Amino acid sequence: MDRDEIIRVLRAFEAARLEYVLIGAGAMGFHGLVRATEDLDLFIRATPENVERLRDAFRSAYDGDPHVDEISSADLLGEYPAIRYYPPTGDLYFDVITRLGDAARFETVDAEIKEVEGARVRVATPAALYKLKKATVRAIDHQDAAALRERFNLRDED
Amino acid sequence: MRVQRFRSIEDMSRAPARRPTISDFERFLRHCARYWALAPKTYPRGVFRFRSIEDAQKARARH
Repeated sequence: MDRDEIIRVLRAFEAARLEYVLIGAGAMGFHGLVRATEDLDLFIRATPENVERLRDAFRSAYDGDPHVDEISSADLLGEYPAIRYYPPTGDLYFDVITRLGDAARFETVDAEIKEVEGARVRVATPAALYKLKKATVRAIDHQDAAALRERFNLRDED
Repeated sequence: MRVQRFRSIEDMSRAPARRPTISDFERFLRHCARYWALAPKTYPRGVFRFRSIEDAQKARARH
C-alpha cells in the first residue's frame, strides 16, 4: 500500500464531494489503533448521484481506469450492496458498501472529520466502529472490537 | 534516550512506548507499506460485486 496513493484517493474523494465514511482498519488508524491492512473500507450514501461521485473520484485518482465504469448504481442500490475495486496500481483495493443488511448504512454510522495532509476525511467514530466490528464473525474484527473497547473505554451498549 | 534497560520483561512491558512524532494515520500508512514490502501479493484487476459483506469477506479469504 503506497502512502501517496492513499492520500491521492482521499483528496479525490473530497474533490468529488463523495459522501462517505471510512470504516475498517483505515479508520482505526486515524484513531491510533494501527494494524496492517490490504484494503480501505467505506460506506457511501446510497444515491445514484453519490455513486457517480465515487466513479469520478476513482477515475481522477487512477488516471481514467476504464474498470471504474463497472461500478454501477443499479448494483450498489440493488442486489449488490458491496463492491470491491482493484485499481491498476495493484497493491491495495477498496471495499465500498451501501448497506450491511438492516444493521448499518451510511446514515446510521456516526462519524467525525479528520485531516491528513490537507484532505478532510470522514471517519467512523470509535463507538461506531465498535458496533460494526463486534457484530461480525471474522476473528480480526473481534480483535479490533476488543482493542477499541479497551482504548476508548467502550461498553457493549456503546 | 535512545536505549532503555530493563531488569525483566514485565518491566519492559510496563514502560510507556516512545511518543510517536508522526500522526496516527501516518503511522498506519507506514505500517501498511512495511507489511506490503514484506508480503506483496498479486491482485486481480477491476470491479467485483457481492450480495453481502459475508460474500465479500469469503472472497477476500481466497486471496
